[in-house]
Amino acid sequence: MDQILTSQCICSSCRQCYLPSPDDMLVLEIAFSIYIKFEEYTSALCVALRMDNAPYVRQLFVCCSDPLKKKQLCYILARQGVSLDLDDEVIGNEEQREILQEIMSNAKLSEGYLTLARDIEVMEPKSPDDIYKVHLIDGRASAGASVDSARQNLAATFVNAFVNAGFGQDKLMTVPSESSSGGSSGSWLFKNKEHGKASAAASLGLIHLWDVDAGLAQIDKYFHSNDNHVITGALLAVGIVNCGIRNECDPAYALLADYVTKDDSSIRIGAIMGLGLAYAGTQKEEVLQLLAPILIDLKVPIEVIAFTAISLGLIYVGSCNDDVAQSIVLALMERSESELGEPLARFLPLGLGLLYLGKQENVDATIEVTKTFNQKISKYCQVALMSCAYAGTGNVLKVQSLLGICAEHLEKGETHQGAAVIGYALIAMAEELGLDMAIRSLGHLLQYGEQNIRRAVPSALGLLCISNPKVNVMDTLSRLSHDADSDVAMAATISLGLIGAGTNNARIAGMLRNLSSYYYKDASLLYCVRIAQGLVHLGKGLLTLAPYHSDRFLLSPSAAAGLIILLHACLDMKSIVLGKYHYVLYFLVLAVQPRMLMTVDEDLKPVSVPVRVGQAVDVVGQAGRPKTITGFQTHSTPVLLSAGERAELATEKYLALSSVLEGFVVLKENPEYRADHHSS
Amino acid sequence: MPTVSVKWQKEIFPAVEIDTSQPPLVFKCQLYDLTGVPPERQKIMVKGGLLKDDADWNAIGVKEGQRLMMMGTADEVVKTPEKGPVFVEDLPEDEQVVAVGHSAGLYNLGNTCYMNSTLQCLHSVPELKSALSNYAHSGRRSDLDPTSHQLTVATRDLFGELDRNFKPVSPMQFWMVLRKKFPQFGQQQNGFFMQQDAEECWTQLMYTLSQSLKSPDPGENPETVKRLFGIELVSRVHCKESSEESPETESVYALKCHISQEVNHLHEGLKHGLKSELEKVSPALGRSAVYLKESCINDLPRYLTVQFVRFFWKRESNQKAKILRKVDYPLELDVFDLCSESLKSKLQTPRQILRDEEGAKLGLKKNESKDKEAQTPKTEVGANENGQSSTGAALEEKEMHMTGIYDLVAVLTHKGRSADSGHYVAWVKQESGKWIEYDDENPIPQREEDITKLSGGGDWHMAYICMYKARLVQV
Repeated sequence: MDQILTSQCICSSCRQCYLPSPDDMLVLEIAFSIYIKFEEYTSALCVALRMDNAPYVRQLFVCCSDPLKKKQLCYILARQGVSLDLDDEVIGNEEQREILQEIMSNAKLSEGYLTLARDIEVMEPKSPDDIYKVHLIDGRASAGASVDSARQNLAATFVNAFVNAGFGQDKLMTVPSESSSGGSSGSWLFKNKEHGKASAAASLGLIHLWDVDAGLAQIDKYFHSNDNHVITGALLAVGIVNCGIRNECDPAYALLADYVTKDDSSIRIGAIMGLGLAYAGTQKEEVLQLLAPILIDLKVPIEVIAFTAISLGLIYVGSCNDDVAQSIVLALMERSESELGEPLARFLPLGLGLLYLGKQENVDATIEVTKTFNQKISKYCQVALMSCAYAGTGNVLKVQSLLGICAEHLEKGETHQGAAVIGYALIAMAEELGLDMAIRSLGHLLQYGEQNIRRAVPSALGLLCISNPKVNVMDTLSRLSHDADSDVAMAATISLGLIGAGTNNARIAGMLRNLSSYYYKDASLLYCVRIAQGLVHLGKGLLTLAPYHSDRFLLSPSAAAGLIILLHACLDMKSIVLGKYHYVLYFLVLAVQPRMLMTVDEDLKPVSVPVRVGQAVDVVGQAGRPKTITGFQTHSTPVLLSAGERAELATEKYLALSSVLEGFVVLKENPEYRADHHSS
Repeated sequence: MPTVSVKWQKEIFPAVEIDTSQPPLVFKCQLYDLTGVPPERQKIMVKGGLLKDDADWNAIGVKEGQRLMMMGTADEVVKTPEKGPVFVEDLPEDEQVVAVGHSAGLYNLGNTCYMNSTLQCLHSVPELKSALSNYAHSGRRSDLDPTSHQLTVATRDLFGELDRNFKPVSPMQFWMVLRKKFPQFGQQQNGFFMQQDAEECWTQLMYTLSQSLKSPDPGENPETVKRLFGIELVSRVHCKESSEESPETESVYALKCHISQEVNHLHEGLKHGLKSELEKVSPALGRSAVYLKESCINDLPRYLTVQFVRFFWKRESNQKAKILRKVDYPLELDVFDLCSESLKSKLQTPRQILRDEEGAKLGLKKNESKDKEAQTPKTEVGANENGQSSTGAALEEKEMHMTGIYDLVAVLTHKGRSADSGHYVAWVKQESGKWIEYDDENPIPQREEDITKLSGGGDWHMAYICMYKARLVQV
């Protein structure tokens, strides 16, 4: 027993401490072997995933003989978005294999999420007006406009999608289909203008998030529309619905593949982005075959290329795949200078960077190549690659070199400094201490930095505290949201939404309400305020955008990738998010996860048990069995977990099979438990 | 013949046989029987994409017991509505104004807020706008001096511009003409134009317009401005010492609300304003004596202007000083007891009708006979009369009667300690019933209850000129 305790202490120290590469891998390897030795399979899996070591994961499954434990392992794999080939060596039993496959493909995620929603009683759909809460704004309630504003309708579309994400019902998009006359269906859809219709149709995907069967049935009718924008939206919706879900029938590929080669570029973008969302992190060979030729086709417009690069980057995220890298590098070299100057061109280096997400020095060769690129994009490439490769590592040297870039004075209007600021946040978000330091030094950048740096700081703060509304950051952003520079104000407003995403935080909601009356005349800023309001109430407060999970130990690469893409898009708010590519907001779907603890029994049916939920305490290096949470309250599962909170079982009747109580946790009955335990 | 299971939405059809010798269209027809989805709407996912109607089953290689997924619904296809909605962003500028719900602001050209706020208040009078739009550009009447003509044209053009734009307008032309006509507004100090008294601007502009907007045809509708704003007063001038008495009639464009120690409310101030003492030579006594002048209203205008006499000349500091006293004013003003006896009797019937109607609105019980009377007449708040030609308005007006009750439509406020400094702002009620604060180029929506809070008693904006609109009733 003592040995186990000691091993746990050692391992938790190993996990927490910051070490530069390659020492970190050594330490993790030791931790892994200790865990394996003491049959702490779930912890061992976390370490293996942290190392991104597929053979170790496989070895674990072979070692672990308990089928119940394997289910738990599969839940962890599903959360991280990793899949494992379940062959005979891993599992012999055919029936068991099917169950494990189902868990691993996230097929039951929607069901679990809806169980949570029913338990908390938030199934009732909400309309954008319920979120705006105009009646609470005193004074200058916005003058009642008699004519629809396309921009405000688009904002309402997004708010509606974010708020009702995953619930399968809402008050704008799904309602009319129930009415008898089919003519009225899609009436809200057509209250959006041109490309706005794409986002509106795609919002169906977000509303039916993870529920592939029901979602596809709803989306089907939009495929037959004669409006290209609606078809674009339907294609995107297919991708969104399938985001994070793996299905043996591969509906996303089957439906989208044909549209990739259509003539209309908006339809192509819809299909390509849909594929990227649906297959993020899967390294699906067929999609590569389909998309790679587009990249090197010089006749294809740059906007299509940009989304292709992003989608391939997503599908092969963190894989260091040479073929994809070659194609993107080729595309970057062959495009003309004017094309590389387009706002969307930033997606090409970003797609390249995503391939090396978290892979540290593996990126070096490619960085050397990018130095030979056109002046216009070369610096941006280097920064994007470096920041992606060291994302979530906390590497001090890279932080310093990025800060060095921020200190330069630019004369030629280059754009890479913004990317450097975001890169800094990406690297520094690794652990709490580095995060606080980063917030402080971003404050310095805000004070002394030039305008193009100031514009990126709110986004960086948003990334550092995503779905984690820290009061000091909230105040900084609130101040910046009134900045004289409208770009800073817009980025700060969106970031207020990001730090409050899925929390229903009343203070941020109040700030945004005040902003909505402050900016009632400025259509662009009001649009940003609305989107932020939608984000704060994401999934009515049941979802999170945080890419970290399992006690902030693991970083989900596709979630991180989704956030990075959006933040880079926010660097040029006016031409991307406020322009006609507002559907880049749907890249956030990659990071959306329920912030719940759901306990299931041995048959994977939800079971309600009492748990203590409280603020997590850092117990590294403390002797004995210290309390891991403080200021806790006892609830019965399913429960919501906020940022920085931890749960532990408050009953001895069950034993949790996972060391970290987050997401789905399998419980088994405690054989030593006696019912009269307390009375005796 | 392999048997497969087909998943469609949440349903699973367990054993569907595939006849591999037939094209897949046959299989789709089988599914049509099961699901009711027509074959052309069915999308069946197989390895490598969608199942094509003419595909070869062998090439696809369906295994026994394989699960296929079908997508498709029999729902009606979403059609693009023929007439899409109209968006604000697509509208031409002048229609955006309607959508925004209020007209544009006016740029401050350097201490011209007194002028901007005056213009915004007058701009809210639709009848004045229509009268101005009928004013001919050329063909100045011989009795009108050229600068008055120019000022009228400039006013007309500026009002037109305010209606067409929703972005702020620069009143440059108007300002230049105003300075030409009234050189006192061109005063400069340290190279800047000085702040002026808004009341002076208001009075002078009103006077000019009353001169220029006289109808050339003296038969009907003699003076538009007088009809709209003119208040006819009858006064009794009375000398205590000699007991002389003489009647007087005059026409003014604004009632004055005098502010003294005992005035707390607009109504009291108005009463004070209608009584005054003056000194003149008495023919009976052969010397100057104090006369008491008591006036009452003999004819009511469509728009009643009230000026709070907040400024007085302070000799020691050599400037117009301000009385900060709080004087409340209502949203609904009743001037019945300020009227002359003859006017009072004329007002009786319309007032009764108005009261009945309001009673009916509130659901009070009434005699049936009265009910019948009340059904026919209708109150006109007058919102629908804008933009009509003046003759049309005149025709209508014959049926409409004054009630002596007025609704507040515009407030011009001043903030600061003297008339020639500080800041002037106009608060104007829109046709939609919403209030807008016109702070130079910024129109800001306000709540109605905040409007009555501009009554003074501090350093906040306080009402200087109020404009009330008559509530009319049909008889």
